[in-house]
Amino acid sequence: MRTDVRRGAAATGMDQFPVGMRVLAVDDDPVCLKVLETLLRRCQYHVTATNQAVIALRMLRENRDMFDLVISDVHMPDMDGFKLLELVGLEMDLPVIMLSVNGETKTVMKGITHGACDYLLKPVRIEELRNIWQHVVRRKFSTRDSVNLDTYEECNKPPSADSDYVFGQVTCGSPDQSGRPSKKRKEYHSEEEDEDEDSSGQDNDDPSAPKRPRVVWSVELHRKFVAAVNHLGIDSKNLTVTPFSVATYFWSHSCFFHVYAEAVPKRILELMNVEKLTRENVASHLQKYRLYLRRLSAVASQQAGIVAALGGRDPFLRMDAFEGLQGYQAFTSPAALSTFSAHGLLNSPRNNQTAVVIQGVATSRSIPTGSSSCTTNPLIGDAAKYHLSLPGNQHGNLGQGLATSLGQAQLQQKWMNEGSGDLSTILSGNSRANGMPRMLPSVTSSPLLPPDLVECTQAKVAIQPSVRAPSASVELLEGAIGASSGPLESRVSQQSALPSSGFSANMLPVHGSFNNNGASFSSNGATRLGDAFSASFRPTNDLTVARGTKVGAGSFGGTIHLSPDTEQKYLSFGSSDSLLDPKLVWSSSQLPSNIGAHYHSMSQRSNNCSIDSSHGGRMFGQTSASASTAAPQTKFDILFSGDTSMARNASESGPQRLQSELSSSTCSFDGLLNSMIKVEKDDAAFGDDLGCDFYSLGACI
Amino acid sequence: MDYSNLRRQAASLKKGLFDQGHLDEQFRQVEDLQDEASPNFVEEVVVVFFKDSGRLISNLEQALEKYPRDFNRWDAYMQQLKGSCSSIGASRMKNECMSFRDNCGQRSVEGCMGSLQKLKREHAILRQKLESYFQLLRQVGPAGAATRPAM
Repeated sequence: MRTDVRRGAAATGMDQFPVGMRVLAVDDDPVCLKVLETLLRRCQYHVTATNQAVIALRMLRENRDMFDLVISDVHMPDMDGFKLLELVGLEMDLPVIMLSVNGETKTVMKGITHGACDYLLKPVRIEELRNIWQHVVRRKFSTRDSVNLDTYEECNKPPSADSDYVFGQVTCGSPDQSGRPSKKRKEYHSEEEDEDEDSSGQDNDDPSAPKRPRVVWSVELHRKFVAAVNHLGIDSKNLTVTPFSVATYFWSHSCFFHVYAEAVPKRILELMNVEKLTRENVASHLQKYRLYLRRLSAVASQQAGIVAALGGRDPFLRMDAFEGLQGYQAFTSPAALSTFSAHGLLNSPRNNQTAVVIQGVATSRSIPTGSSSCTTNPLIGDAAKYHLSLPGNQHGNLGQGLATSLGQAQLQQKWMNEGSGDLSTILSGNSRANGMPRMLPSVTSSPLLPPDLVECTQAKVAIQPSVRAPSASVELLEGAIGASSGPLESRVSQQSALPSSGFSANMLPVHGSFNNNGASFSSNGATRLGDAFSASFRPTNDLTVARGTKVGAGSFGGTIHLSPDTEQKYLSFGSSDSLLDPKLVWSSSQLPSNIGAHYHSMSQRSNNCSIDSSHGGRMFGQTSASASTAAPQTKFDILFSGDTSMARNASESGPQRLQSELSSSTCSFDGLLNSMIKVEKDDAAFGDDLGCDFYSLGACI
Repeated sequence: MDYSNLRRQAASLKKGLFDQGHLDEQFRQVEDLQDEASPNFVEEVVVVFFKDSGRLISNLEQALEKYPRDFNRWDAYMQQLKGSCSSIGASRMKNECMSFRDNCGQRSVEGCMGSLQKLKREHAILRQKLESYFQLLRQVGPAGAATRPAM
């Protein structure tokens, strides 16, 4: 129970909620108000009554902790009851009960849709008032949970059951309670910031409320979970069916989706080594995770088809494809597909969520490839840049894909080697779930970016080519990501900054170094990354990428999450494939945070490629760099072609330009960037479907 | 002073109000809220009610003149009054309120006028009866018992 409730109760001398519950009663009718007040007192509540809504609002604003519940009449002369209801809900997040003499369904409906937790008809009977305290408790409970779960959840999703995080929940849609989701997000953010909580702990500070033991799957916990799963289950068994086959189309690797064969709850639990966590908790979480992966896979397959087409207009448009990006998972196998909220990110169709989720799992690639190559992460940040504007889709998938790729435990580990602080952290399975944690905050900021997106961001970061001008990259990233500009090589170092910064866009200038590193990149896990990457990209329409690159850059695939609602041009991530290419050295470390940040920032920018352009340019650069050099160029090539087609769809100029840019291996990142920027400018047409800069990014990639 | 007689009268008066439909169950709920903490609660509420309803009715009359055929406005006024009536249990008045609102819905000025007149009449009747009732109560009540002159 909220302490203030307790306080209120305590104030009455009895800490026995609901006795002493503090109610604010508002009704312009003096008779009703008097009767109501007395009825409430009879129920042993502490009542404050006023006949003016403005006074009530003022009292609430002065100190929202003064009250536990508000009861208000609907028809009032100074302010409409619904308006008061909304304001209270938004500003104070208190339960509000509506009262009216009018019981017409439509009016009641209006009350509920405005967020009233109950609607009583006059004359109010005391029996009804005796139960209103439930609303207070219910809200406390759910708020608490949602805060905890927010890391994974989609923004507007109403709090779900405990230990639930919605994998790529695509709900970000209209919150049923206008301000509340955002509020929760805010809360969540703050939670994120100082997140340290024991994920498995339940915050039982409400003695009077019935508590069910719940495990809160915080980012930390989830990360551990994913790490454990990755560690255990990397296997070539397929968890998902379809996507996999489709994925293979794009990837040379078929390690698309690995079933965590060995990842049984018991063993996961052992590995996680979290006290107070039970096998059952893990089992149910695992189940959800699998569903999540499956969903990604499904999207991936869907996307794959689209991507395959490439020509398709805007395959990128649909971030849905990302869902199918399960491929990432596949390859990232250990996948830290953790909550890929990227999915969530994508999901929230908040406008302007240009969350470019670059599913460039490039990072992942880098990771596997071993330290040497690891420079891959670079682009995570870049990825972020890619703004994928997911047209209104909540394609968390992208993010997911990204995330997953990021999550790749492997990647993480590699990155760890790299030293990039964040990235490795992020990527490491154990470390924040795919860097989500960091990204989360930023991610969440944009509705599109659910915490999961963090993962994506990671990927994004990874994508960042550790290109030269770290600063450049940084700039690209928009800031939101906190571009940690670090050279690819420096990826790691920069990365470290990332996590903390939340999304420092580590846009490592991918470019030049890409090539250098790319090679190594591709060699090892590259494929994985590529795959992942491509997977991620493919599915999403947004990304043109995912061309069969082997790059397993699952994580790498920075997901560029473009705001769904805007037809932003997303960076054609297709090129992300190339990013995935080993060539791409993404500073993985940067990924997570960068991505997140980037993502965030990206989402901020409704413009489609605003950052994207910059990023995109980068990405492109990267892509091209990698593309040209990377072995798995195929993907890239396809990507380009795809891009071309996309370009066609979008603005001709842009993509084409990109392509050309990309094709030249020498294309410096900067060049790409420039072109990207140009593209963006032109862009209105560009990728209108795709919305994307991303598009071009894809090319780059 | 025949308290028992007075009490009987008061009881009878109240019963009549219920039987005739002037008051409904809600009034009993209001009476239930009266306790040692608020010994005159019912009377206080009733006083407030008549004061407020008098004001609302007069506003409504003015609105009928000032905003001819402004049914929405009239309806809004009436809704307020209806809320008061239902809170106190003034059943007949409430019914007239509803009938007035129906007439607004049908956009019948005459219907509205007619309902308003009936409403005013019910209002007057209820007021008078309740005033008598409370007077009786005051007489039989502890305070009244001692000091009030016999009615």
